[in-house]
Amino acid sequence: MENKIEQTGNEQRLNTLLSAAARVSRDIASILDLSVLLNRTVDAICDEFGFYYAGIFLVDDSGENAVLRSGRGDAGRAMLEEEHHLLIGGNSMVGNVIQKRAGHIAMDVDAEELHFKNPHLPRTHSEMALPLIAGDDLIGALTVQSEQEAAFTEGDMSALQTMADQLAVAIQNARLHQQNKELLRQAERRAKLLKAANTVGKEVTSILSLDDLLPKMVNTIVATYNFYYAGAFLVDSSGEWAVLRAGYGAAGAAMLAEGHKLEVQGNSMIGDCIRSNQARIASKVDSERIHFKNPHLPSTRAEMALPLAFDGKVLGAVTVQSADERAFSQDDITTLQTMADHLAVAIQNAYSLEALKQAHAELIRTKVYEALTVATTEAIHWIGNKALPITVTIDRLEQEIAEDQLDLASLREDLDLISESASLIVAVKEQLIGQAREQKPSPVMIADVLRAAALDRGIQSSRINLDIASETAYVIADSTQLARALGNLLCNAVEAGANNLDVRVFPGINKGETIIEIADDGEGMSPEVLQKIWSPFYTTRGLSHSGLGMPAALHVITQLQGQISIESQIGNGTTVHIVLPSAEQPTLILPANLGLIQLIDDDDPWATVFAQAVGDGLIRSQTPDPAASLILIDEHLECVNLDDVLAQITEANLGPKTVLVTAALHVDRLTRHLALVRDVVTKPYTTEEIKKLLK
Amino acid sequence: MTTILLVDDERLVLRSLEKTLLRAGFDVLTGSDCTSGLDTFAQNSDKIDLAIFDLNMPGFDNVPMDAAGLELLKKVLEQKPGLLCIVLTAYDELGKAREAVSLGAKAYFVKGREQGLVELIQKIISQG
Repeated sequence: MENKIEQTGNEQRLNTLLSAAARVSRDIASILDLSVLLNRTVDAICDEFGFYYAGIFLVDDSGENAVLRSGRGDAGRAMLEEEHHLLIGGNSMVGNVIQKRAGHIAMDVDAEELHFKNPHLPRTHSEMALPLIAGDDLIGALTVQSEQEAAFTEGDMSALQTMADQLAVAIQNARLHQQNKELLRQAERRAKLLKAANTVGKEVTSILSLDDLLPKMVNTIVATYNFYYAGAFLVDSSGEWAVLRAGYGAAGAAMLAEGHKLEVQGNSMIGDCIRSNQARIASKVDSERIHFKNPHLPSTRAEMALPLAFDGKVLGAVTVQSADERAFSQDDITTLQTMADHLAVAIQNAYSLEALKQAHAELIRTKVYEALTVATTEAIHWIGNKALPITVTIDRLEQEIAEDQLDLASLREDLDLISESASLIVAVKEQLIGQAREQKPSPVMIADVLRAAALDRGIQSSRINLDIASETAYVIADSTQLARALGNLLCNAVEAGANNLDVRVFPGINKGETIIEIADDGEGMSPEVLQKIWSPFYTTRGLSHSGLGMPAALHVITQLQGQISIESQIGNGTTVHIVLPSAEQPTLILPANLGLIQLIDDDDPWATVFAQAVGDGLIRSQTPDPAASLILIDEHLECVNLDDVLAQITEANLGPKTVLVTAALHVDRLTRHLALVRDVVTKPYTTEEIKKLLK
Repeated sequence: MTTILLVDDERLVLRSLEKTLLRAGFDVLTGSDCTSGLDTFAQNSDKIDLAIFDLNMPGFDNVPMDAAGLELLKKVLEQKPGLLCIVLTAYDELGKAREAVSLGAKAYFVKGREQGLVELIQKIISQG
């Protein structure tokens, strides 16, 4: 009877334990945070089963120790603080259970050979230890302790082992979950770092100033990796010093202000990294032999120095510092070195650009010096030759006067010699003044300016074969200056013996540019002459030339925001290319009722456009018409002689209503004509200019 | 009477110097470039006692070249070694002067100091 009662009591206890085990298992099954899982488990075991203490040990990475990861109550907390751990296979029940992968009960711990006498658990009288096994993986052990002797039965053990098995699976799940989270975190960080490296890689290709590039780089590193400090050093020209060129934050600013630099051969990670062309990583700077203790960076605990190397040559190094020990992951190192490699390419590019700039500046200096030398030499030659006849003749005349041997015919010739030489010197003034004249760029008709340029130089317009694309009929220029430049070029072509002058005007490659191409079939120039063509006073045409025509053309075209170049070969003629800003063809719409306007002009392009703009009120004839309220005369006339027309104007007293228009305004001619007509004005090419004229 | 060959491509220079030399009592033959200068020399080489060449002139066949006067000097001295020659130039350039003298010129005369030209010619002639 007593046995039956006892049996019934044991069955109830077992049922209670199994129910409790099931509840605990259910409770912990869904907990994915390992720490919460273990704490909840030890609490649940003690609460449900009424035990004095429960603790969970997990096998460490070495597989040699079972480390307490959770313990009930104050005793548990104290042991956790002490980092309580037991040797697997050692003199403890936990160590023994793990080694044997089988549970063990000590009914009386005092009599137990394997029991670890734990000072934090003095009231333990019986103990049960159960292995935590999930599949084949030995995870740790569960210890359950009671204040009573013989508190555990074999039935208890099997009920709790079921729960321990569930716990082992839950621990494994929680660990896997933790690993997954860590992998995800690492993947996200890696993606972020690669994105940052990619961004830097892109930016470094577009920033060629190191003063812009390096600060951006260190700021990006600190912002992306959340490090304490980053800085960039470049090796100086002596190769002896690594000079800080960019540093993050206030510390960086202070070091830059101090001119912070480290000896390449010195005792620093940067120096060592540059010497060896190898990354240097100090996970704990306090134990690093060659770490430079920087007073501006007191919180540095880990440091990495990465070489900036291009084609085997170390240009400098990047330092990255963290306030945490062991702060650098392999991803950090890989992505930062990628960034450093990109940066090294950019630094090399910047150096190359600088070298190129210096070479270019040197070339410019050399060219300017050469040009000045040529100009000076030519000027000396030119002035010497023009002045010599004057001085020689005067000397001789003085002697002849002193000796009373003057011969009138000889004297006349001498005066001519002096006069001619002097006039050549004075003629230079016009070229020089011409260049200095103010330019008033506005839309001008190329065909009209070219015509004026030719006529001013005594070249008939019919000698020029003109081919102009309609959309390039106008350029932005000052017509007087452009006529001067074109005139110089046409004159050179004629003097070179050209029979054909082909002028082609067409759009340039760049939008808004018009190209004027002047090709002749003259004798052409040798490379030596071509090289000196832009030098003032250089001429191959002897006495009557100043050698200022080409420099003047260059000056004018450059002032008009254009470019000029020449191709020439002996025997193959010369081609001049002029690039000028294009102008849209003006829409000429004039108001009606302007009265009768007479235009005395050739049938040239400008006259055609003007006639279309004025319409029916225009009189086209070559004889002045008193009926006209305004008489316009183009100064550059071929169909009639201008002086004859002006004489008729004067004779008919029509000067007050006559205006002379010209594409190339020359002050000397202007002065001569002004006495005969109401005004002399630059030719109008736009509606506004024509309206202003007609007012 | 001493006969001088004067060659210069600058017409006004040529004429003014010619008149100065004539007045100083020399016979003067002229050439306006290397080719005409050499022709004149070839036709009168026996009676020419001294030659004055401009340094910078168009070269033979009218091709522009640097220091064409020295080419003329060489050709003339090939035909008449020992002829008294003066190179006339607008440049005060030691290198060219040295070259002219090494080629056989007796003097290198810089334009702008014409007052001394007649005296220089007389001195060179007297020294033979």
